[in-house]
Amino acid sequence: MTFWKDTFRRRGKADAVGALRERLERFRELVNKNNHVLELIADAGEKLGGEYIFDIQYLRTFARELETEVHGVISSLNAITGNRYPKLLDTLETISAEIEAALESREVAPKTSLVVPLKEIDEELSHAVGEKMARLAEISNKGLCRVPDGFVVSAYACQRFLEAAAIEPAVREWFDGGEPNDEALLARRSAQLQDRIRSADLPKDIARTIRRAVTGLKKSSSCSSLAIRSSALGEDGELSFAGQYQTLLGVAPDQVPTAYKEVVASLYASGVMRYRRSGGLHPARGLMAVGCHCMVDVRAAGVLYTLDPSEPQKDVLVVSAAFGLGKTVVDGGGAVDRFEISRDPPHRVVSRSVACKEEMYVVAPEHGIQKVAVARSEHGAPTVTEPELKELAATALHIENYMKCAQDIEWAVDSEGRLFILQTRPLRIDTPRAPANLGATELMSKYPVLMRNQGEVACRGIGSGRVHIVTDDDDFDTLPDDVVLVARSSTPRLAAAMVRASAVITDVGTATGHLAAIARELRVPTVLDTGIATQVLCDAGEVTVDAEENVVYGGRVGELIHYQLLRSSAYAESAEFRMLRRMLKSIAPLNLNDPQSRNFVPERCATYHDIIRFAHEKAVEQLTEGYSVRPSRGSPYVRRLDLEVPLDLIVIDLGDGLRIQEASRTVKIEDVTSAPLLALLDGLTTEGVWATGPAEMDLDGFMSSATRSLSFTTPLAAKPEQNLAIVSGQYLNLSLKLGYHFNIVDCYLTETRNDNFIYFRFAGGVTGMDRRSRRAALLKSILEKHDFVVEGKADLVIARIKKVSFETMTHRLEMIGRLIGFTRQLDIFLRDDSLVEKCIECFLRGEYNVFSR
Amino acid sequence: MKNTTEVLVLDDEAIVCERLKAHLENNGFQVETFTESQRAMDRLVEKTFDVVVTDLKMEGPSGLDVLRFVRDQMQGTQVIMITGYASMEAARAADYTGVYEFILKPFQLDEMGKLVKKAAKKAMRLRGRAKE
Repeated sequence: MTFWKDTFRRRGKADAVGALRERLERFRELVNKNNHVLELIADAGEKLGGEYIFDIQYLRTFARELETEVHGVISSLNAITGNRYPKLLDTLETISAEIEAALESREVAPKTSLVVPLKEIDEELSHAVGEKMARLAEISNKGLCRVPDGFVVSAYACQRFLEAAAIEPAVREWFDGGEPNDEALLARRSAQLQDRIRSADLPKDIARTIRRAVTGLKKSSSCSSLAIRSSALGEDGELSFAGQYQTLLGVAPDQVPTAYKEVVASLYASGVMRYRRSGGLHPARGLMAVGCHCMVDVRAAGVLYTLDPSEPQKDVLVVSAAFGLGKTVVDGGGAVDRFEISRDPPHRVVSRSVACKEEMYVVAPEHGIQKVAVARSEHGAPTVTEPELKELAATALHIENYMKCAQDIEWAVDSEGRLFILQTRPLRIDTPRAPANLGATELMSKYPVLMRNQGEVACRGIGSGRVHIVTDDDDFDTLPDDVVLVARSSTPRLAAAMVRASAVITDVGTATGHLAAIARELRVPTVLDTGIATQVLCDAGEVTVDAEENVVYGGRVGELIHYQLLRSSAYAESAEFRMLRRMLKSIAPLNLNDPQSRNFVPERCATYHDIIRFAHEKAVEQLTEGYSVRPSRGSPYVRRLDLEVPLDLIVIDLGDGLRIQEASRTVKIEDVTSAPLLALLDGLTTEGVWATGPAEMDLDGFMSSATRSLSFTTPLAAKPEQNLAIVSGQYLNLSLKLGYHFNIVDCYLTETRNDNFIYFRFAGGVTGMDRRSRRAALLKSILEKHDFVVEGKADLVIARIKKVSFETMTHRLEMIGRLIGFTRQLDIFLRDDSLVEKCIECFLRGEYNVFSR
Repeated sequence: MKNTTEVLVLDDEAIVCERLKAHLENNGFQVETFTESQRAMDRLVEKTFDVVVTDLKMEGPSGLDVLRFVRDQMQGTQVIMITGYASMEAARAADYTGVYEFILKPFQLDEMGKLVKKAAKKAMRLRGRAKE
């Protein structure tokens, strides 16, 4: 605000317009850079979702380009605001450093508590507790199964411990100094590093916290012995699972700190170091979290695969079981029972082979585990009962469904018959050989084809389930799992339902839009813009969607389903792939949602996306923060627009937006050459939309407005009231203060679909909060029905749409024009919630005189 | 008479070989993969392939060496060269006669599939065999 006052004072009016133009240029720059960043992010996301091969050079280029553009956004913001946000550059640096670390495959532990109880592990903490534990916590906390009670010693604690053991100086000396790639030398260094760990003292606070956690476990779960399992971070997550890192069983409670050290020492086992080196990683840099769980009082345990990898067409789960601890099964030594269970409910046991089990592993009395004899009478007894197998099958399939790929699960049944899941991971097999009968031509002759080559594939993959045609009143919470969602349009509301869908098909939509991006993130097979899906599939029942070949089959195509389940897990992720994933965590997620919130500050920007969001919002605020510009004959850019509706609108032309006549201070609609402004005005001036004459307020409305410390005629903000449109041939930035609320429309309309966007912001009103909120809810509903992504709280609505065609954009802008006129003073009339529905219906029907005004 | 197209894939990253193999096999090609260029060249002595897909920059003999080798064999084998952006510049400097096509990383597996198909047709034609 003061910027403008100063500018006027110092430079005089003509110059002020020039200054405004300059500022607007900066704003346009910011918007362009903003969009470019979003495109780069979307492009990278696509590389993750699609079938791409890329290398580290791509990642480095990507990171560099991105940083430059985000830096540019910040510079533009500071130019517009007179350097109001210097802290943003610090934030940029912090995030760039994270991305740098990802590019160098350096593991950096996020700073968290030293110990985290399993129940408290959520999405945010997953990087702190390693892959294994994160997965276990996820399935347990989502209620999919029972897992033994426990806690995780965080990666941060490990980092602290390694520092205390002075590992880094040794590593630097031995490895970064360019020691030869010598097997014998590697083995020696491995032994040295492991000794160092074993003999080092655990920092006192870590030891104490561990002991306290163990005591807590003893109390809450009467725990008498523990399992200590490695849970490595990032790249090394693979090694955890490959059993290269240590797991210690039967650990006595007071031995836990020592066991912890032993497990951490396995970071430097020679096999591990060799494996890392061959994978292109630094042999001696890694971090791990360590899980400590109560040992289940095991009666029987073993391993389950949710598919027979060598014969997936059998459609069975494969279970191996032994008495006592699962070690017998995992080691592959002793005699074990084998069962095959049908994947279809009711999960019949299809085949069984009961072995003669003479020995089993149990927890040793003091510490550790030992082999003991199985009672003679039990040698030939099956380890698990039929009901237990059924429960195991059902649980395993839930986990597989949730993880969206075939699973390799370690399980145990306790003396009371309760099932525990100890570990789950993607079923690892070599690249599955696509069976010869998987070709589309084969399948199409075998199964009915309902749809083929319609629309665009937004995310590849295969999904099957029952068709559900999406309607506006859908309560997505009541949908079954494994549903195939078929919708008319790709409305963003679908995004919420997508998580549970096995596939999504729409009639209308674009593969570059918001929904497509979410589909790729969630890896849900999605086909958009088919035109006919809702008609063709409405009675289809069960279908299989092949979003690779773009075919929809009637019924369940077993061959495809199995192939997909196996393939998703064998989708061996390259180092670059994981690197990109990790980088994107610092780039893509949007944390800063609510511009009104106290957290909308530079310090709270955790990703590049947050930064550009923050910058855009603040730039818009700054731009439209009350200024007074009067059209004069002299100024070549500014005119008043002559309209039929009583809207006092000043237009500033950045170029090609108006046909300006020197002599006149006003322009008519016919002189407007800005495409977006024309479209909007079209809607705004639609017959009946703009209720002329003063609004009649009922008494309540009047009272609440009077009690606001403003008089009836004072605008909401004590700023000069001005409606301003800044235009070019393709651009529009409109700020309107109407009916005591504030509208902003920012939009770019071109022939290039990917460049198009509309940003619409609406806030305020003169009545009490509940009426204003109702109006906001009304706006939200109408906007969503027109495919906008909408967010907002209370009386604030922010809506966006992007990457749609010129034609669609024009329709949307016209709709916004009508909406602006229609809702102008609507809050006054919204006495109760039922009126909201009524108004929405009327608007959609084109009846604008809801309350005869 | 041979029925299927035979492809040799050479890339020092095992994962690239795996993914290309899986994708190409899906498309009906017969694929052998190598991560060491010397081994690949030894194999090229033993057997004539229709198409060779090779990375440009590798330890040991480079993609260019492989290209020269294949060219000298004069069996009509087509060579597809994978390069990263940086190596494109180097590519212009050297003599790359005989390359069927360069393909730049990042690329879609589909793209590679299509390219291999086209290259295979050319190889078949040069050898005067009937097309499948």
